Amino acid sequence: MTTGGPAVACWIMHVDLDAFFASVEELLNPALRGKPLVVGGRPEGRGVVSSASYAARAYGVRSAMPMAQALRLCPQAIVVPGRHQEYSRHSHAVMDILYEITPAVQQISIDEAFLDVTGCERLWGPPEAIGRLIQRRVREEQGLPISVGIAANRLVAKIACDAGKPQGLVLVPQGEEAAFLAPRPIETLWGVGQVTGRRLRALGIATIGDLAAWDEERAVRTLGERHGRGLWRRAQGLDDSPVQPGSERRSISQEQTFAHDVADRLFLERTMLRMSEAVAARLRRRGWVAQTVRIKLRDPDFVTQTRQETLAQPTDQPEAIYEAARRLLDAHWTAGRPLRLLGVGVDGLLDEAGYQLTLFERDDQRRIRLNQALDEIRDRFGDEAITRAALLRRQHRPEEPDPTEGV
Amino acid sequence: MKISCLQENLSKGIAIVNRAVATRSTLPVLSNILLSTDESRLKLSATNLEIGINCWIGAKVEQEGATTVPARLLADLVNSLPAERVDMELITRTQTLNLKAGRFEANIKGIDAQEFPLILVPEEDMRVQIDPDVLRQMIDRVAFAAASDESRPVLTGVLADFSDDGLTLAAADGYRLSVCTTELEQAPEQPTSVIIPARALQELRRISGEQEEPVEMLVSSGRNQAYFHLKDIDLVSQLVEGTFPAYRQIMPTTFNTETIVSTADLLKAVRMAFIFARDASNIVRVQMVPGGENSGRMIISATSAEHGDNVSEIDATVEGKPIEIAFNARYLIDALDVMDTAQVSIQTRDASSPGTFKPVGGGDFVHIIMPMHIPR
Repeated sequence: MTTGGPAVACWIMHVDLDAFFASVEELLNPALRGKPLVVGGRPEGRGVVSSASYAARAYGVRSAMPMAQALRLCPQAIVVPGRHQEYSRHSHAVMDILYEITPAVQQISIDEAFLDVTGCERLWGPPEAIGRLIQRRVREEQGLPISVGIAANRLVAKIACDAGKPQGLVLVPQGEEAAFLAPRPIETLWGVGQVTGRRLRALGIATIGDLAAWDEERAVRTLGERHGRGLWRRAQGLDDSPVQPGSERRSISQEQTFAHDVADRLFLERTMLRMSEAVAARLRRRGWVAQTVRIKLRDPDFVTQTRQETLAQPTDQPEAIYEAARRLLDAHWTAGRPLRLLGVGVDGLLDEAGYQLTLFERDDQRRIRLNQALDEIRDRFGDEAITRAALLRRQHRPEEPDPTEGV
Repeated sequence: MKISCLQENLSKGIAIVNRAVATRSTLPVLSNILLSTDESRLKLSATNLEIGINCWIGAKVEQEGATTVPARLLADLVNSLPAERVDMELITRTQTLNLKAGRFEANIKGIDAQEFPLILVPEEDMRVQIDPDVLRQMIDRVAFAAASDESRPVLTGVLADFSDDGLTLAAADGYRLSVCTTELEQAPEQPTSVIIPARALQELRRISGEQEEPVEMLVSSGRNQAYFHLKDIDLVSQLVEGTFPAYRQIMPTTFNTETIVSTADLLKAVRMAFIFARDASNIVRVQMVPGGENSGRMIISATSAEHGDNVSEIDATVEGKPIEIAFNARYLIDALDVMDTAQVSIQTRDASSPGTFKPVGGGDFVHIIMPMHIPR
């Protein structure tokens, strides 16, 4: 608490299922238990790792790593394709347990959530007891390991949870947030991606504590008004973003930081098309549809703009997402304005939903079937197995898009 | 202008023309009702430039003349008057309408009648007579399927197709299509096709209320206006320009399953499912289980992630393959609401092809609904 007024202690909890997909696979086939297990696409199809058991992680296998690389690191790994319906079923069951603790649950993705347990003591006991209760119930009722981080805010709770994995429970006492964060690598902080990370390290900042030791004005001068001030505050362990209950906050997005600022419309459109494809494929994989499409534009001086459009009806089709993204670009980007980053995302995600087919544009049914066929090909042979002709000609494409899912 | 009429008649007349009054217009006079003497009657007129309505009521005309007064004010005022004789006199110099009823008196500031746009009876190109009951039924069956948003103006209209076979009305909003045909006692001299705004037809439906005489319809020679003549009422509508989609091409010609079910039972089941469906994109799942002579079943269900789910089962005659298909509950309810027969027939091909709904023994009427795509 930096300002006056009564200091009300908030208790925010972050929970994250450990190696979720791999743990579900172990549960469904106990013979796999303890073995190096990798869930993901086939190596010959250039698939990627979507989840790795801790036995596989011991060999250096990580999520989002190309499967071929994972198998080089751990040749004896057992590779299984994903069974998303099973994952989603277990995820729902775990979320139900969380909702029994408090309605203030914000689901971030299929395997993580924030809970605001402020004031739950009388019902469930102190925060640490609540954490233990969740761990025990998820283990006993769903057979799954889960890690818990507890702190005064979402930022610190999330980092605490990651620090304790697997099956950890880490509580950061009130007032000790900055001290807890200080020794951790700067990249751990929200808002520090590859690019900012490199920049900060070049300035001699390796840990969160290094940045926290700067004065605020210097951070603003170096990193820009909003970005700089935000990062500096987070480095102090300050974060006042609320836990927003409801799963509507789920979102899927892709964004790309360009190695060189881009002002070429065609290139931007092609980037958006590729991102729309990826976002739509992830929607379809989960059986979700999206109601809102948004784009994110970042100028060379870090001014970031997010604009969104609500669709006439929800979709899981890349064409509809791309069309909306292009309309947004038309409305909010002027020709020749260079961009440092471009992102396409969807919000307002619904499961158990669908969309109305149209009478006159019967093309959409052909597209739906086409995209279904593409999904099957990609599931079998990997994401790069098939692509749009428009995406084949690659100009400067310096960094792979950085898939970000979550808040 | 100096006239007298009965409050009851005046109130009724105002209610009829009121729906044509412009609600948001830059032209102030369009928010007014035109009162003018027409031989020994009082003529009330209103227009929003898309449709115009004239209505005549009996009156005692002492002095001829015309003026316009704000519609809303006049309606509110007349509706609160006692059911007695109303005397109205225009003070021309100030364009003020003096109104007296019993011991009540009011002065309404108006706008000169000269400023009111003329609602002309068009030079006719085609003239037909339509039975009012048939016309009302056709409008009920078709007009609701027209688009309410303006993104494709042609779909906000109802196609009226006159030919030797009679009159066909068709409307579609891109997701559903209604087509209804009736024979005409006298076919028009040459086939004619016009697109009438759905709103105009709905107003026609409303004002034709108790009329028993045939409705006369005229199309202007410029093909830009339609004119409906009723007893003591005229309605003029601009026509929608453009080409109506070739709807015959999208009407299914084959099906794999035909289901015949009680209209009332199905409507009840869908309304129940809608309670849960309304916060889940209105999705209702419909399952047909084959079986002849009411030994088949229709299973209607809806799921709301937040609030729960429901299932109802009804007896049906189902011939062909079993099928599961999802529809927007709203569209099902709209369609079943206008199926005025005891049973409805539903023909389906697969989960992504349109379903065809017909009233069993209910004349030449087809309603087509595109299903919803469910990712899982």
